[in-house]
Amino acid sequence: MTRERDFSSRPRARRFSRPQSALLVAGLVALAAAAWAAGDRWGEHRAAAVRLARTRAQTEELRSRIQGLRAGTGPDDAVAAQALLTAEAAPPRVLARLAGLMPGDVRLEAASLDYGEHVELELRVAARTPASFDLFVDHLQRSPSFAQVLPGEEDRRGGMTATVRARWAGAP
Amino acid sequence: MMALRSRHVVAFDASGVSGAALGRGLGAPRVRALAHAPLAPGALWPSPFEPNLGRPEEVAEAARAVARALQLRDTPVCLVLPDGVARLLDLDVPGGTSPVSFARYRLAAGLPYPVDEAVVDVLPLGGSRVLAAALRRAVLEGYEAAAAAAGLAQERVDLSPLGALAALGAAAPSGEPVVDLVLGDAAVSMAARRGGAVTVVRNRRRDRSAGEWRRLRAEADRTAVLGGEAAATRIRMVGTGTLALVRDMQAAGAAAEAGWRVQGEGVPAEGAELAWLGAALA
Repeated sequence: MTRERDFSSRPRARRFSRPQSALLVAGLVALAAAAWAAGDRWGEHRAAAVRLARTRAQTEELRSRIQGLRAGTGPDDAVAAQALLTAEAAPPRVLARLAGLMPGDVRLEAASLDYGEHVELELRVAARTPASFDLFVDHLQRSPSFAQVLPGEEDRRGGMTATVRARWAGAP
Repeated sequence: MMALRSRHVVAFDASGVSGAALGRGLGAPRVRALAHAPLAPGALWPSPFEPNLGRPEEVAEAARAVARALQLRDTPVCLVLPDGVARLLDLDVPGGTSPVSFARYRLAAGLPYPVDEAVVDVLPLGGSRVLAAALRRAVLEGYEAAAAAAGLAQERVDLSPLGALAALGAAAPSGEPVVDLVLGDAAVSMAARRGGAVTVVRNRRRDRSAGEWRRLRAEADRTAVLGGEAAATRIRMVGTGTLALVRDMQAAGAAAEAGWRVQGEGVPAEGAELAWLGAALA
């Protein structure tokens, strides 16, 4: 049975229907039988536990070896890639490209550029009307410089502000 | 779909409080009783940040009327909150990680309030993907308080868009791509699916002024493009205004349809306008 979503502020006691109660009783009986059978298997369990501990130690040793190998090459590559990305997608360049896509009654209130494997943008824009915001999103989607354009939360009380996430795809 | 189980839901939205009792059975779910109590404008307005209940007593009174009509007494009910109250984010969960813990971690950065104030849960989307939702505790507690004041026995709380997307997912076409629109009074959630699996989920406030069908069709196309399709070739809709929007889109040549049909006496438009029913159907 899949878990049901529950956004309750506090978990609440569940009530059980008759079929559910019957299932619960059957489950408890099965659990008791399993516990009795488990007693017989205690010796086997201890032997298995010793084997498991040995395997775990071997796994740990392998894992630390792999981490050591990775540490030898990873950071330099990552730093080099990030330096290249920072130069290609310098903030003034990205912001200039954004400004060129904005209709006259849309303005950028805030922008954050996250330089990782890609350059991820989170923009906060203000628009005079929802239609001009839609037009900006449209321009953004059609622009080859941006990908994965995702309009986010909106507030339409008096004018309109909204967040938009996008990924820098490079200058054409 | 559900089996051998009766379910009761009470749903809140700007236009009113609604409720349904769905019957037991091994086949398709059947609505046994349906009730609705309208709310005057301003009594409730869905928002993810501020308390939503402008006039809590009025909302509680509407919930009480629904409970009376459905004869709920102390029957456990699922409270369904409207679209527009939660921050939604679709995520790819790394293996060996708890989806809810990962969702809380990822949502924390984008919430305009401390993550400790958020109640987080997820809807599985197929594979390792989930739709995560963060609901501000102060917003949630307003609804819970109104339900308690109405004498409802709260079993759990669900969100209308998550319930509807789950129910639509159960009946999703396995081959062709489709875009699902879940229409709340104040917001609309959109999901693109391919092969039954969700590829992208979006959520926007609704603009119900003239020509909404044209804007929603453009949003559906946008969602399809984000999901890797050329355009929305098939659109399924549930929720407020579905029938008129389907009619307008069809008249313009779009392949639009109601997202589900529910059996039961007195169910208007076969339940297509009741997105909140999804919480009991999934």
